[in-house]
Amino acid sequence: MGLGFIIGVFGVLFLFHAAYSTIQYRGLLKIMEEEFSGPPMNVVLELLLGFVFCVSAALTVPGNFLSIHPDSEENRIVSLPANLDFMIFNHRAKALPLEIDMKLKH
Amino acid sequence: MVSKTEETQLNSLENQVDNGGGGAWEYLCLVRKLKVRRSDKVFKYGLSILNDPKKRSALGPEEWTLYEQVAIAALDCQCLDVTKDCIKVLQKKFPESKRVGRLNGMLLEAKGSWAEAEKAYSSLLEDNSLDQVIHKRRVAMAKAQGNISEAIELLNKYLEIFMADHDAWRELADIYVSLQMYKQAAFCYEELILSQPTVPLYHLAYADVLYTLGGLENLQTAKKYYASTIDLTGGKNTRAPFGICLCTSAIAQVSKGRNREDKESPELQSLAATALEKDYKQRAADKLGLLTSALRSMKF
Repeated sequence: MGLGFIIGVFGVLFLFHAAYSTIQYRGLLKIMEEEFSGPPMNVVLELLLGFVFCVSAALTVPGNFLSIHPDSEENRIVSLPANLDFMIFNHRAKALPLEIDMKLKH
Repeated sequence: MVSKTEETQLNSLENQVDNGGGGAWEYLCLVRKLKVRRSDKVFKYGLSILNDPKKRSALGPEEWTLYEQVAIAALDCQCLDVTKDCIKVLQKKFPESKRVGRLNGMLLEAKGSWAEAEKAYSSLLEDNSLDQVIHKRRVAMAKAQGNISEAIELLNKYLEIFMADHDAWRELADIYVSLQMYKQAAFCYEELILSQPTVPLYHLAYADVLYTLGGLENLQTAKKYYASTIDLTGGKNTRAPFGICLCTSAIAQVSKGRNREDKESPELQSLAATALEKDYKQRAADKLGLLTSALRSMKF
């Protein structure tokens, strides 16, 4: 969790730095009165790096994904609950004594 | 709803606790969460925790839930003295509680004093006429006394008010099947499938009821629902392929004299049979001979 979090923070910082660099580059181009075609190559590289870091952090930090397949082992319903609200006590256990005769001690 | 991983977890915990490996409290919590009925083990291990003052104080506020769980398990194992003691302890702690009143009613039910239990439940219902669990206990009481028609009536009245209660629909379907009123049972299963379409066990039960009803249309619909069960469980349910084989042979028998165009392709039956054989070879190889002879007699 710690490593993913740090990677996420770095990713966000890279994105902010890339944005700041692009704004500065545009300002510089305005001074030199040239057209702004796109940010320079290293800013684009930094942008991609920040993107990769953010996405990997977003996938690792929240933890394990839940399965969505209805037939996977965690989702496959094997038996229904025993309907305990309608449980009746009028069954054969009355004739079968329990071997251990335990009492509540207090 | 018990999923496969939860079932294996429950079984391994049960083995562990049975062989003296500890973990009784986790086992009891899992039983409570999955709502399974393992009353003898809950009674044994829950009572051993409650009788040990150190372990009891380690539970904190969950102690009272354990008292309730052990009380109900003791009722199921017919140790009514233990239930009486547990209820006394709970009453001392929570004097005006409805839950304890309900436990009292269940104790009277287990003792067999139906009139007094009915009185207890009606007095609880006077304070709160929309208490779902008390209504369900009255249905259970009617069923336990053998008065199935009254149980059906009470359950129908309950379902008119609380239409979304799946357990009640399932109980009503069970009662209808036990009385062989299959059309009404099919209606109940349809309600269940409508509200929870992704639970394959409802599809399976509905297909079983339709197959029992018989008739060409019902058999064809049953085959479709067996197929949807296979779809939803990824082929891991053993009963559904059997259902498909039986439905196909029953349809072939019913429409033998009718000379209709044979729209039914035999592929589904042969696929189901192959899947069954593979499953048996993997899990119960000694019974494979029985299976192949049964399937052969179905195909004629």
